[in-house]
Amino acid sequence: MSLAADAFVSQMAAAEPWPENATLYQPLKEDQILLSDCASSLAVQAYLRMCDLPVQVVCKANAEYMSPSGKIPFIHVGNQVVSELGPIVQFTKAKGHSLSDGLDDVQRAEMKAYMELVNNMLLTAELYIQWCDDATAAEISRPRYSSPYSWPLSNILAYQKQWEVRRKMNAIGWGGKTLEQVYEDVSQCCQALSQRLGTQPYFFNKQPTELDALVFGHLFTILTTRLTSTELAERIKSYSNLLSFCRRIEQSYFESKRVSPLKD
Amino acid sequence: MQGPELGVQADDIEAPEIEQEPKQEVLENKDVRFVLFQTVIKQLSPKDSHIAQILSLHCALIWMFLMFLMPPVSLVFQVVVQRVHVDGLGRTKEDLLTYEIAEVFRAKNLIDVMRKSHEARQKLLRLGIFRKVEVVIDTSRGEDALPNGLDVTFEVTELRRMTGSYNTMVGNNEGSMVLGLKLPNVLGRAEKLTFQFSYGTKETSYGLSFFKPQPGHFERNISLNVYKVTGQFPWSSLRETDRGVSAELSFPVWKTNQTLKWEGVWRELGCLARTASFAVREESGHSLKSSLSHAMVIDTRNSSILPRKGGLLKIHQELAGYTGGDASFLKEDFEIQLNKTLFWDSVLSASLWGGLLLPIGDKPTSIADRFYLGGPTSIRGFSMYSMGPQSEGDYLGGEAYWAGGLHLYTPLPFRPGRGGFGDLFRTHFFLNAGNLCNLNYGEGPQAHLKKLAECIRWSYGLGIVLRLGNIARLELNYCIPMGVQSGDRICDGVQFGAGIRFL
Repeated sequence: MSLAADAFVSQMAAAEPWPENATLYQPLKEDQILLSDCASSLAVQAYLRMCDLPVQVVCKANAEYMSPSGKIPFIHVGNQVVSELGPIVQFTKAKGHSLSDGLDDVQRAEMKAYMELVNNMLLTAELYIQWCDDATAAEISRPRYSSPYSWPLSNILAYQKQWEVRRKMNAIGWGGKTLEQVYEDVSQCCQALSQRLGTQPYFFNKQPTELDALVFGHLFTILTTRLTSTELAERIKSYSNLLSFCRRIEQSYFESKRVSPLKD
Repeated sequence: MQGPELGVQADDIEAPEIEQEPKQEVLENKDVRFVLFQTVIKQLSPKDSHIAQILSLHCALIWMFLMFLMPPVSLVFQVVVQRVHVDGLGRTKEDLLTYEIAEVFRAKNLIDVMRKSHEARQKLLRLGIFRKVEVVIDTSRGEDALPNGLDVTFEVTELRRMTGSYNTMVGNNEGSMVLGLKLPNVLGRAEKLTFQFSYGTKETSYGLSFFKPQPGHFERNISLNVYKVTGQFPWSSLRETDRGVSAELSFPVWKTNQTLKWEGVWRELGCLARTASFAVREESGHSLKSSLSHAMVIDTRNSSILPRKGGLLKIHQELAGYTGGDASFLKEDFEIQLNKTLFWDSVLSASLWGGLLLPIGDKPTSIADRFYLGGPTSIRGFSMYSMGPQSEGDYLGGEAYWAGGLHLYTPLPFRPGRGGFGDLFRTHFFLNAGNLCNLNYGEGPQAHLKKLAECIRWSYGLGIVLRLGNIARLELNYCIPMGVQSGDRICDGVQFGAGIRFL
């Protein structure tokens, strides 16, 4: 999002309070959504629940194309459309809802650094496994991604997406990595997160921040999604404090309201 | 090519055993009929005239001359076309031409020969594979030459194997470069292969098309197309990219022209701007349309732009979804136009359009399939496609529409430039009316008709029309829109319009 658009959105957003009919759009939950999109969507849902902002989740087969940035998820609030966690955090902040106001500058910088780490490592690893591991791509990603479309469009779109992700992987230097190296990267990332979390309930003491929402979204999705191999989930399971962190957020933000993000 | 030997009456004509060179000499020795004949030949094989049109004009003049001034002489003149030569063939296969020139052999007298040769020439030119066709009629020579035998020679010049064009276009904040390639006679039987590629600062589009007529029946033809087109529709804040293949079969039946078509299109819709309404955003994404369509056209007008007489009936129906794809609908639309010349060169023209889009199944219709109305080419006085159902200023189109127009075309006042440039212009007075709406299926046809008759938009005004060739027209009108509904965007006052299809 450009600076001008940012400023525009913030200004517009400030004018109105959070409406009751805010909607979050994501792909079809049963047949279509992929690990990475599900993780990003769950992160935004967790963030909005932490802010105590009500949002209704709507599944649309063309959610990816409806999104102004082409990324999942996006929210429709009033007449505003905002996609991805970063802009959504800014958008809610403009409306007077923020989780990171209590942090000092150093902590805020640290939070941003860890969020970048999660996006660069976990999200990229998820994309790699989905589209660059041939078994996962053939058995899960391509059939699910193309499920709403009829032949031959289904094949065209699935291969187009795969090609696009692979090109991106080559551009950021992940193209030559093996699956084992990717698992190793995930382990390292988890180790860093585990160390930062330590014995605290949330990354920054007692109050959750957008970092907690982002980490929860990714880890919880990886733990609860069945892939061709359980290796990815196994890597995370070796960090017990991260597991209990996920359980804690699930219990306090999802189960208490009797809506489990992955069971409804 | 050997002609059928019929109608031989040897006593009707003397054997003109002459060489081509000493024509002048021979002329003086023969009787009147023969002199006439020689003159005709001389006129028909002009060594100095290169333009085919002049030749055909000569043909026509002589033919008229023979018809009206000297009927007794010409009618007794029985001839046999013995041979037809086609000179200058390169890639063109001979069997294709056999059909086109077969009629020439059936000619029994000189007038016939000339008329049929002229018709054959027109047919050859229509194939679109020759740059020039000249006709030479001469007396038969050689051992088997009959005394009244004629040889007809078509001297043709083929078009080049490949022609290319290059254009640059600038407009609407976009520049583009258009590259065109055309192979007019690719397999030797008037098949045409065309390729067009447009590379713009915003969009790239291309089209490849193959056209093949049936030999001897040019109106019966098939064409195959592959294309990618991108369109931006600011009235809907919509961008559409279509990639498609289509196969089309055209054939005449009685006075109609029928077209059957299958089309498979991958359509990608997207918002033109961030500010697009959510209703348009919801339509974004990919869809596949596979449709069978049929069109019937009866056109008796003397010209497709500014006709003076005749009528047009066009019926088009499209069924999507039965051959695959995820768009399912039945679409019907029609167009009627009637023209009548009144006093002082003025023409009264009435037209009526209508259409209906019925979704099949539970899925609602797509914004890309619905009808749009309004603008300088349909209901004048309204902005382009800016009426009917809309959301936050983006027009969503309707599932049913009708539009009618009544025009009185007159020559320019005081007729400046009469007989020349001024004839390209007309003034017109118009009255347009129409409606566009969505129909709630299940209410029955009565309710639908009532809905279409409610809140009719209409407009009237006058303006100047400029004809551009025989394909397009420009209009500058002063319009007064009436029956404007809330949400419609109007263009009160002067409106400029350019287009091919006009109400």
